[in-house]
Amino acid sequence: MSVFRLLASRILFSALTLLLVSILIFLILEALPGDVATRILGRDATAKALEVLRSQLHLDQPALVRYFQWLGDFVRGDLGVSIATGRPIGDVLGPRIVNTLLLSLFAFAIYLVLALVPAIIQATNRGKAVDNILSVITLVLLSLPDFLLATMLLFLFAVAVPILPALATISEASTWLETLRAMVLPAVTLAIMMAVYAIRVLRDSLIEVLRSDYVRLAELKGLRPRAVLFRHALPNAIVPALNVTALNLGFLIGGVVIVERVFSYPGFGTLLIDALQLRDIPLIKATVMISAAVYVAANLVADVLAVLLQPRLRTSR
Amino acid sequence: MKKLIDVRNLNIAYGAKSSWTNVVQDVSFEIAGGEAFGLVGESGCGKSTVAYRLLGYGTINSLVQTGEVLFDGTDLLKLDTNSLTKLRGNRIALVPQNPTTSLSPGMRVGSQIREMIAAHRALPDGMSMQSRIVELFALVGLPDVGHRYPHELSGGQQQRVAIAMAVACNPDLLVLDEPTTGLDVTTQRQIIQLLGDLRSRIGMAMLYVTHDLALLAQIADRVGVMYAGQLVEVAPCDQLLAAPAHPYSRGLITSIPTVDGTDRRAQGLRGVLRRDQMSTGCKFEPRCDFATAACRTTPQVLEPFGEMRSVACMKWREATVPQTPAVKPRPGARTAAKPGRLLSIADLNLSYGKPSIFDRFLGKTSPSIVRDIDLELRAGEVVALVGESGSGKSTIARAISGRLPPRAGLISLDGDLLASTLKSRSVEQLRQIQYIFQNPDASLNPRRRIRAILERPLAHFGIEMDEMALEGVLENVGLHAGYLDRFPEQLSGGERQRIAIARALLVNPKLLICDEILSALDVSVQARIVELLRSLKEKHAVAMLFISHDLAVVQQLADRVAVLYKGALMQLADTDTLLDAPLHPYTEMLLEAAPGLSKDHYVSRPPAMPASKAVHGIGCPLAGRCPRQVGTICAETRPPVQETGSGFVRCHVPLDRLLFRQVPIATNTGDSIHRAGTAPAFSGR
Amino acid sequence: MTMITSNPARQLFRFNAGYWRATPGPFKVGAIILAAHALFAVIGTFWTPYGFAEMGAGLPLSGASWQHPMGLDQIGRDVFSRFMHGAHIVLLLAFAGTMLGMVAGTTLGLISGYVGGWFDEITQRIVEAMISIPFLALALVMIIAAGPTLAGEPVLIVFVVGLVYAPRITRIARAAAMEIATREYVAVAELRGEGTWSIVFREILPNAANVLLVEFSLRLSYAPILIGALGFLGFGIRPPTPEWGLMISENRNLLIASPVTVFGPGLGLASLVIGFNLFTDGLSRMLGQRPVMGA
Repeated sequence: MSVFRLLASRILFSALTLLLVSILIFLILEALPGDVATRILGRDATAKALEVLRSQLHLDQPALVRYFQWLGDFVRGDLGVSIATGRPIGDVLGPRIVNTLLLSLFAFAIYLVLALVPAIIQATNRGKAVDNILSVITLVLLSLPDFLLATMLLFLFAVAVPILPALATISEASTWLETLRAMVLPAVTLAIMMAVYAIRVLRDSLIEVLRSDYVRLAELKGLRPRAVLFRHALPNAIVPALNVTALNLGFLIGGVVIVERVFSYPGFGTLLIDALQLRDIPLIKATVMISAAVYVAANLVADVLAVLLQPRLRTSR
Repeated sequence: MKKLIDVRNLNIAYGAKSSWTNVVQDVSFEIAGGEAFGLVGESGCGKSTVAYRLLGYGTINSLVQTGEVLFDGTDLLKLDTNSLTKLRGNRIALVPQNPTTSLSPGMRVGSQIREMIAAHRALPDGMSMQSRIVELFALVGLPDVGHRYPHELSGGQQQRVAIAMAVACNPDLLVLDEPTTGLDVTTQRQIIQLLGDLRSRIGMAMLYVTHDLALLAQIADRVGVMYAGQLVEVAPCDQLLAAPAHPYSRGLITSIPTVDGTDRRAQGLRGVLRRDQMSTGCKFEPRCDFATAACRTTPQVLEPFGEMRSVACMKWREATVPQTPAVKPRPGARTAAKPGRLLSIADLNLSYGKPSIFDRFLGKTSPSIVRDIDLELRAGEVVALVGESGSGKSTIARAISGRLPPRAGLISLDGDLLASTLKSRSVEQLRQIQYIFQNPDASLNPRRRIRAILERPLAHFGIEMDEMALEGVLENVGLHAGYLDRFPEQLSGGERQRIAIARALLVNPKLLICDEILSALDVSVQARIVELLRSLKEKHAVAMLFISHDLAVVQQLADRVAVLYKGALMQLADTDTLLDAPLHPYTEMLLEAAPGLSKDHYVSRPPAMPASKAVHGIGCPLAGRCPRQVGTICAETRPPVQETGSGFVRCHVPLDRLLFRQVPIATNTGDSIHRAGTAPAFSGR
Repeated sequence: MTMITSNPARQLFRFNAGYWRATPGPFKVGAIILAAHALFAVIGTFWTPYGFAEMGAGLPLSGASWQHPMGLDQIGRDVFSRFMHGAHIVLLLAFAGTMLGMVAGTTLGLISGYVGGWFDEITQRIVEAMISIPFLALALVMIIAAGPTLAGEPVLIVFVVGLVYAPRITRIARAAAMEIATREYVAVAELRGEGTWSIVFREILPNAANVLLVEFSLRLSYAPILIGALGFLGFGIRPPTPEWGLMISENRNLLIASPVTVFGPGLGLASLVIGFNLFTDGLSRMLGQRPVMGA
């Protein structure tokens, strides 16, 4: 009952958040003072071109009407028409999302291994040399800007030791193996960027849990260390890491923009950059809304997982 | 008797490589098979550190310097992890201090017991795992709660689960680390009763670690008293309580307030334990009334005397010369003419929290947690509000102070009606009611010096006060001017509480609300604060609403006592009257549960009609738990108010029948334990 | 009675040798790296070996040499001079942006956390919505929305960093305020009838200082990356101003011909962030706080 209610209220709040996001984006892009058309086409645009754009964007109508028009279409699945290409946004977006989804899944799989293993090693060997070395490595990786890390990996594995393709250009003609090879570098970059955050959080929370009364009791019950770690400590320590993972998915969407750009991967991120450079407002709105929706959904999943892992949370609130 | 475990010359230090601090020094004792040994001392004396070493366990930053812990001839301190794992839980088991944090939160309690039995392959022949677990639950007086998660159980039930788990493999030794701290008095006594019962059935030895000598008196055969990491006295329990040899043991015993009828005023120990000012000789020397110059430099070691006792004090013979017992007349001249009424509360009803949007949507309202409270306080009077945790006593205080607007009811001070919220009360009204909180660590802003903490209320209420007066106030609470420039973290708990008291008194209030202000302090410090409060009451004629769960403390201070249970007033009476003739069944339960300083073979009385449970908001909240319940009427209708000489009783049982106090079942001798069985644990929340 | 150690935060800024020795290792290393960067930035503001926009300082793409430690770019500008000149720009932008986010976020968060009620409810919903938009996307959208006149201006970058950070800092400050508001010294002040502002700034802020200091340091560590990313994608400071991210982006097509032009500024940026991160680590250890991870 209460799990159900919790879920219902979370979904409600998520929907509310997305509604607010849509208002925010609309406000930022279309309701700021100044002429939208001029902002898109620049100062030197001809009056004719401006006029065409205005009618295309229905700028003659009041902002409120435009907002609800857009929202209504969006909810119904009609994402509008791209200004730059004149194609329906749904058609443009579809294949790009599939590509990015593939990349993200690949990255996420690597991320899970990269996050869990070092954190467990560190927490169980706290203060020892392994812990310190891994700490230094994560700190350095944490400090590398994603565009730099991507460039470095590209330089190392595609230029200095050319074992992987420098450009991750894939097309429908590519074979599975080619696609996979092309995705290795971008996926590893994304995974590293996400894992360094998770490692630190998981290490700290695992250390805290290992110090808790219930882990001590489990130990003093005469359970084997492995049982103590995997049955009592890890399930409870993983909850904060879950939240970071959800945050990381938000990061992934941002990181995708940069990584895809470095490796020229035809995904969602490059599309967003293109849309921004072309000031293609309908396309920008659609991409940003979708990325926010992914983030909100990821958080929802993390919340539900946390409740499943910690029965205590079910009755609170 | 054969030694089961033998601790020899144990020295343990805490810290890091560069600086070690000794926390345990030359501790030696042994426990025989089936014996219950108690280890008592105040917080930080190292008793838990010793206890955990009996399980071969120590934190990473602690180090055993010398000593051995022999169990069946093997030294536990030298065993490798593997052999320890085989021993722990199986032959030596732990009952932890705080079951709420010690049971794994994400695992059903049944599985937690199951994995213990499975790990040691300790399933009795011809028994299924499931039936063994149910049997264990029955052993500790619980129904089959195996499918529950820890948070779904009350504190008392959680501790029973922890005990069931500890005895699951029939261990030879049970290590108990303050197993009842944090539980209500009545629950506490039921747990002690259960432990005594289990011990006689299973025949295991116990190491019982606690700060509470009175509890230890109920269960231990022998007791070791620890101070600053050293054992200062070891003696059979009854002998220690009757004739303590070490000055510290004596101080500890005289600190304990009791309700056992002996009119005795608790006396605290002066000073506090400070590890940074230890002398090279006797650790207790700075606080000892018998200390001489030689004590400061001569280390004291345990010397045997009598048949089975030993003490670490070279002057114990002189020190045991009986002092004049601290029997003084009960506080205050209670015959004095009744002064005018200061605070009056009428029909107070309280509930917590605003319903969330979701609840409002579903049309839910939060239930009342405090119902129909009528209470009066006269000027200069101390009224105690007594009840178990969750009885709503602090909630009432919050309403009086204005932090919780009541759902219904009137509160007036000096005849003027008090507004329900803080914002609508006048500055003058705010000044007249001052509040002292339970936890002195949290009631002083850690970022401000004591001077700023004290001066802020003065500035706020526009009271002029010069430096001299400020120092005078500090002296008033037993501190000196040197404290003004310190930060709260540089003070001990007792000193912080004194500052909090000084801050409250500074603005000349008419009413002081003391919300469990002693419960976070050590026994010896508690007694000193009670003394302080008593002197302040006489000097300032300030009225106090003294909230406590501890009747023993209350009787030293209060003029009248109001007993609260689940948000309803059960009884109001003069302190003396209440103690002599408790009348109300609940008061009676509380008094019986309060441990005296001798073994009283307490057995909780079974409820008369356990099936007839109280429905919240209707009837008497005690229904279903009350040993004198007269029928379903108790659960179904509000009990009537019956006037008594000094107050009232709210009960369905007529007054004349209440006057005949039931003979407690277990005033006869020890064998009563066997037939008592265990009362079902009641859920506190 | 002896003095027990006093409050670390209060002594933090009073430099003394004994205290410095007692600080954790990461803090020391971090502080030294940051000091070096600050010095480098100050020098770079006033003097560089060549002009930062001076073309033909040497043969383009000639690689690293003593005259040109970071080589020369496509149009023959000395990369090291550009790097040196860019140091103070990166530091100032990062600092100003973080500061803006900090002031806005702290004020909003502390009040929202303490006051609660509908004000808190509304603030939290908006904060939630802003955090839901991936921060890079939010930053880029804001830059686009600002239009062509503001594009590439330092003010816009500072504003964008501040706006991206503010909701995240609001959350931290709110959580701290809510926790501190349950402490009894706050109740004591309320019982005295103190006003909201007095309680927020007298009782809550000083006790949230540790959390906020660590948060500031943490955000500051990430700011150069964020600004660099904007520059890298071509939405940052207007060229030819040598912001480091922009330089890495400009020289990326020289990766095969002259990698030092990319990794020189890259190393500088990474070392700055490493310095900040070490500093944050040490600071949080000293103040007994744990930085809340995640962008």
